[in-house]
Amino acid sequence: MNETVSSPGLTGGLPAGWSSLELAALYDEHSRAIYYLALRFLGDPQKAEDATHDVFLKAFRRLDQFRGDASVRTWLYRIAINHCQNLCQSWHNRNIRAGSDDALWENSPAKTDSPLRVLETKELGQRIQKTLDALADEYRLLLLLVADEELSYEEIATLVGQSADAVRGKLHRARKAFAAHFDKTV
Amino acid sequence: MKQQTKLTPKRELEHGAEQQTQAPLAKEFSDAGELLRFDAAQTIVPPEIAQRLQKSEASLSPPASRSWWKNIFGG
Repeated sequence: MNETVSSPGLTGGLPAGWSSLELAALYDEHSRAIYYLALRFLGDPQKAEDATHDVFLKAFRRLDQFRGDASVRTWLYRIAINHCQNLCQSWHNRNIRAGSDDALWENSPAKTDSPLRVLETKELGQRIQKTLDALADEYRLLLLLVADEELSYEEIATLVGQSADAVRGKLHRARKAFAAHFDKTV
Repeated sequence: MKQQTKLTPKRELEHGAEQQTQAPLAKEFSDAGELLRFDAAQTIVPPEIAQRLQKSEASLSPPASRSWWKNIFGG
C-alpha cells in the first residue's frame, strides 16, 4: 500500500507554529489515535503525553525510512508500540507486578455477547483504565488496536507478529476478560 | 475495525413506572471495542504535545554537512 504523508485539511498552507508540513499533517491526522493508545496502554496521562511527543518526533526523523509498504497509521503504531513496550519493560524491571489472572476471568461465566451497560459516563475513563490495567499486556494491546476502525485484522496481526486467526482467537478471550473485569469496576 | 461501522452507542431511556422519577440515561456498548472507540472519541489530545513537538522540530539540527573546503582544509 502506497501512502504519502498528507492531510486534506492541511493542503492550504503551513499551519501556525509548524515549520514542516509533513509533521503537521502527520500529527493532525494521527495524534488522537497515538495519544489514546499511549494513554490507555501506559495508564498515565503525563507519560502518554511524553510518549506521543517522542513517537511523532521519532517518526519525523525517520520519515525518509518510511517505505510505504504499510499504511502511515500502521507505521506510527509500530513506533508507538515499541516505545510503550520499552517503557513498560523498564517499569516491570523496577517493580515486579503481580501476574494477571486472565485465565481465571476467561473461564468466568461472563458472556461476550452481552452488552456493556454504562449508567454514568463521568468516571468511565477511570473504569476503562482500571479494567485495561487488570488485563495482560497482550490483551490490552489487541483491544486498543481493534478499537481503531482504520486497522484491519491483517494489519493488527502484522503489528503484534501473529496470524490473523490467532488474533481473532485472542480477541475473543480478551473481550471476555474485559467484560468480566469491567463488571467488577462498578 | 473496518468491518464495524456503527460507532454511536445506543441511548436507552428506562421505561416503566419509574419513568416518572428521573430515570438515568444508560449507554450500551456491544463489546469492548465499541466502548473503547467511544472512550477514544471523548479523549482530548493535550495541546501541549503539539507545542512541544513544534519546539522540538524547530530545534532539530539539519543533517550535518561540511562544506567542501572544510573537508579539505579542516576547521
